Amino acid sequence: MLGYLVGRLSQAVVVVFVMSVIVFVGVYAIGNPIDVMIDPGATQEIRENLIRQYGLDLPLWQQYFTFVGNVFQGDLGRSMVYNISVTSLVFSRLPATVELVMVSVCIATIIGIPAGLYAGYKPDSIAAKLIMALSVLGFSVPTFWIGMLLIMGFAVNLGWLPSGGRGEVAQFLWFKTSLATGDGWAHVIMPAVNLSLFKMGLMIRLTRAGMVEAMGAEYVRFARAQGLPDRQIVFGHILRNISIPIITVFGLELGSTLAFAVVTETVFNWPGVGKLIIDSILQLDRPVMVSYLVMVVLLFVLINLAVDLIYARLDPRVRLKGGS
Amino acid sequence: MVDVTVQTPPVETRAVRLRHFWSDYRRSWVAVLALAIITTLVLASFGAPFLVPQNPYDLAQLDWADAFLRPGQTGSGGYVHLLGTDNAGRDMLSAILYGLRTSFVIGITAGILALILGISIGLTAAYFGGRIEALLMRIVDLQLSMPAILLALVMAAMLGQGVPQIVLALVVAQYAYFARTTHGAASVERRKDYIEAARSTPLPTRRILFKHLLPNVLPPLIVVATVQVASAISLEATLSFLGVGLPLTEPSLGSLISNGFKYIHAGRSWLSIYPGIFLMVTVVAINLVGDQVRTVIDPRNSR
Amino acid sequence: MLKHALQSGIAAIALLAAAPSVMAQDLMIGLRAGPDSIDPHWSTLGSQAEALRHVFDTLVDVDETLQLKPGLAVSWTPLDNTTWEFKLREGVTFHDGTPFTAEDVKFSIERIPEVTGPMPMTLYTKYVDTVEVVDDFTLHIKTKGMAPSLPNDFTRLFVVPSETGMDARNEEFNSGEKAIGTGPYKFVSWQPKGDLVVERYDDYWGETSAWEKVTRREIPDDAARVAALKSGQVDLINYVPATDYLSMQGDSSLDTFVSDSIYILNIAPSVKDEEPQPIKVNGKEVEGNPLQDLRVRKALDLAINRDVLVNVVLEGLGTPANQLMPEGFFGYSANIPTPEYNIDEAKELLTEAGYPDGFEIDFTCTNNRVPGDAVVCEALAQMWSRLGLTVNAQALNGTVYFPAAAREEYTMTMSAWGTLTGEAAYTYGALVHTKDAEKGFGNFNRSGYSNPEFDKLFGEGSQTLDEEGRRKLYEQASEVAMEDRALIPTVILQSVWAAKAGEYEFTPRTDQETRAYAITPKG
Repeated sequence: MLGYLVGRLSQAVVVVFVMSVIVFVGVYAIGNPIDVMIDPGATQEIRENLIRQYGLDLPLWQQYFTFVGNVFQGDLGRSMVYNISVTSLVFSRLPATVELVMVSVCIATIIGIPAGLYAGYKPDSIAAKLIMALSVLGFSVPTFWIGMLLIMGFAVNLGWLPSGGRGEVAQFLWFKTSLATGDGWAHVIMPAVNLSLFKMGLMIRLTRAGMVEAMGAEYVRFARAQGLPDRQIVFGHILRNISIPIITVFGLELGSTLAFAVVTETVFNWPGVGKLIIDSILQLDRPVMVSYLVMVVLLFVLINLAVDLIYARLDPRVRLKGGS
Repeated sequence: MVDVTVQTPPVETRAVRLRHFWSDYRRSWVAVLALAIITTLVLASFGAPFLVPQNPYDLAQLDWADAFLRPGQTGSGGYVHLLGTDNAGRDMLSAILYGLRTSFVIGITAGILALILGISIGLTAAYFGGRIEALLMRIVDLQLSMPAILLALVMAAMLGQGVPQIVLALVVAQYAYFARTTHGAASVERRKDYIEAARSTPLPTRRILFKHLLPNVLPPLIVVATVQVASAISLEATLSFLGVGLPLTEPSLGSLISNGFKYIHAGRSWLSIYPGIFLMVTVVAINLVGDQVRTVIDPRNSR
Repeated sequence: MLKHALQSGIAAIALLAAAPSVMAQDLMIGLRAGPDSIDPHWSTLGSQAEALRHVFDTLVDVDETLQLKPGLAVSWTPLDNTTWEFKLREGVTFHDGTPFTAEDVKFSIERIPEVTGPMPMTLYTKYVDTVEVVDDFTLHIKTKGMAPSLPNDFTRLFVVPSETGMDARNEEFNSGEKAIGTGPYKFVSWQPKGDLVVERYDDYWGETSAWEKVTRREIPDDAARVAALKSGQVDLINYVPATDYLSMQGDSSLDTFVSDSIYILNIAPSVKDEEPQPIKVNGKEVEGNPLQDLRVRKALDLAINRDVLVNVVLEGLGTPANQLMPEGFFGYSANIPTPEYNIDEAKELLTEAGYPDGFEIDFTCTNNRVPGDAVVCEALAQMWSRLGLTVNAQALNGTVYFPAAAREEYTMTMSAWGTLTGEAAYTYGALVHTKDAEKGFGNFNRSGYSNPEFDKLFGEGSQTLDEEGRRKLYEQASEVAMEDRALIPTVILQSVWAAKAGEYEFTPRTDQETRAYAITPKG
């Protein structure tokens, strides 16, 4: 197991290194941020001073190693727009995104699991077919378009909900969240629903697949033969059995939802990390872009590593095969 | 060089297979309808110059006097604007069909290129194994776990605006799905006797890869490809909506919706609703077709 | 657990609903953009200066049409060719009670190069050679060469107390610790992209504000900002988009305020010997650069229907432009004729120039940099197509456009230019003057335009300290540049504010700033 762990870890390190180089070179290729930001009235001399000041005149590899060196000292750089450290910038935006993701995951679960259970329980009923059709919609209709429809319907035409932004923030226990205020909920509900649809589609399909399989399984047939009511079988046995894979997949999906929120956050102008990355791309805030992307790569490498390790524990054959 | 023929598993003739496929496929009327819709949309978008009254790309044909006509109004050209006009006096129906064409071209080109890249990487990994396989599949897995939109967004930002740039961004964001599928199927095939047999002969690697491995991994790839074309179209629209895709002057469905979004508070919802409906119908229909194709060719579902 | 959380949530909602409504003495403004930092020396960004003006004062102030008026300095006079004397206001105190003196100004000028970022404030101190404190309220500024526009530059010179110290970090400003100015409001709190909250400074030297507390909320999305006003979350908003402006005019619950802005959409045709993107006739690249021919440039100008641009494309929110600055700015010439639309004459000129059937040309614009840039871009392409040209118009994002424009990769461009300082040296010096890195002229002259006559007039102007003499020379220089179609101005963009009806008095400003202390309750 230790050898396997070391192997996987070193692979992860190599991958992070490769990706960070790709990210750095890619962001470099977009152009010189000074040319995007600088005031029109600036002289050539001011421009050149700035380029020197930000080390943009150095060869690329040197800039990269300066960056890596700083990262190892825990310094992810300073935003060229806000002049504060990227870390504090990202962490100031994180609560908003986490809030949004939590609510949307709850919505996806509360609606997705019962719907999936039903669709698997009575796969031939009209309702089940309808549920599956809706799950296809959730999967395939572009998020931004649904978001737009929501805004048009509930904000513009009905005027029930605000069309974007995060609501009033208030203290809740030991942290500040917009979920502690009514205004906050009014703001979060549309983006959360928007973000949840994709996950809901996934949830429905996972649950349904598990349900269909379980309905044919030995223990269910046995329980039915015993005369147990269906309600008890479904909620007492099947749900428990199929919840493990669902929870696993869902835990993993949380990470991607965090990153995926970028579209929803833009449509609803939600001040989270997704909006931050879009803004920094449009403003060419190079340190924020590079550091954020490297953080994302790291997050996903860790998620993958965790998955590998869990599987390796569950199934020793994986270790033999993948440990090269 | 000695030419050795290797026995591949017996196959049905192409025509027979196709007939079987179709009889299985048409068992779902929804899927048949979806296929019909896509066919219509493809024909309509590529035949747009003959179908619609206006070339929305030719600025000389637009008139500012026609700006913001509501659906059904008649403009200075003397014809009815079924879906209204936009801020430049562009007939929305014409713009949508031309935009749909751009979307199809981008989606299909990106799909094909991603397919080729994905197959190459997947086959290489499966065939060589060892360290190469480990590294390649590590990166592929990592990419798969990230949302494609994030990758495409960053790529588009790096490459700039324009059709070739967007296609490239989509290819980078999507090849991993093909690579994963190819690798999965090819790894299974590799262990089968006929490939082992081929490997023990002095046949060139290339030949084993393309003549023997590839045909057997193709069916699952077709399914992935269908879904990926839909997802490419939807991704492109999303990118244009986020402002890093195609410029307004080169409209795709996404840039049309994005432009129309600015006017939703001013009661000019037709500018974004109609292109959105076309986008939605297209993407959903392609996905439904993909779903049915998967059901038909998935061995677990065969009779 | 879940039940508990739900209960607390409901309790919190109930509490909030019972919260008292906002006090009448508070003002809530919804703005498209806010500051990026509370350090007033960090960036030249317009929204930054606008926000920090509430907390800090500048040495020189500007009125609604950008003409100079006293700020922390009460007067300024040139002593000789390279020395300016500034007399400072007496009896001014910083928010922490320390009196304001000349040392603070000297410190602020010296602090700028140490802390300024990628949008450098050094722009406004580039002429400063040395700062000499004569007494507490007199400063002598030695300039590098003659600098008639120094007072204009100092309209963005924010003054911080010399006690701030050179090593004060940005975080200390953002937290409020160092956010100490002489301005009309004291800093309370700020979040990036969030609210800037300030409260009235009762010992302010000028007229005290009518508002006890002002919240400047950043709502970048146009639609959301309008919605926030309509739902009463904010009292006043800036940058009302044209589409909403139309519907607001029929809405009796809202007042609107319209003003010309400093931004003009200018077309820049490249007049280099070899145009960057080839111009073609029948698919073949033409010999030489057609845009070098004045007749071609005039034809392009004549083919622009500015009335359509204003009334249809911008939905009324614009004014036709005939030069690079709005009326009333220092160096604006009344002799430049109103541009006319005459497609027949344009065609004749084009035929004379040897292009009876037009040509194919690339035309690149900014997208979403200012309201309406992309639609105007498309409209121009359409207008030129009436002239027989084939125009490949592209509206690109700033991240693509600006670096490529700086590398001079475009044959013809359109972008917005704002005369931030309210005078001609800023605009004509950067856009029209022959490129001259040494003198710092022509930095944004990407078209290769060079006219000795213009350079002479402009150069003389920049060496004339006498205001009237300088004004004449700048006016003549403008006339030369516009007659030559060095750039082709199209429209002056207008900006719109909106507020709850009948409650606020507000004079809109050309620099688009929304100053809370200039807003007063009606009645």
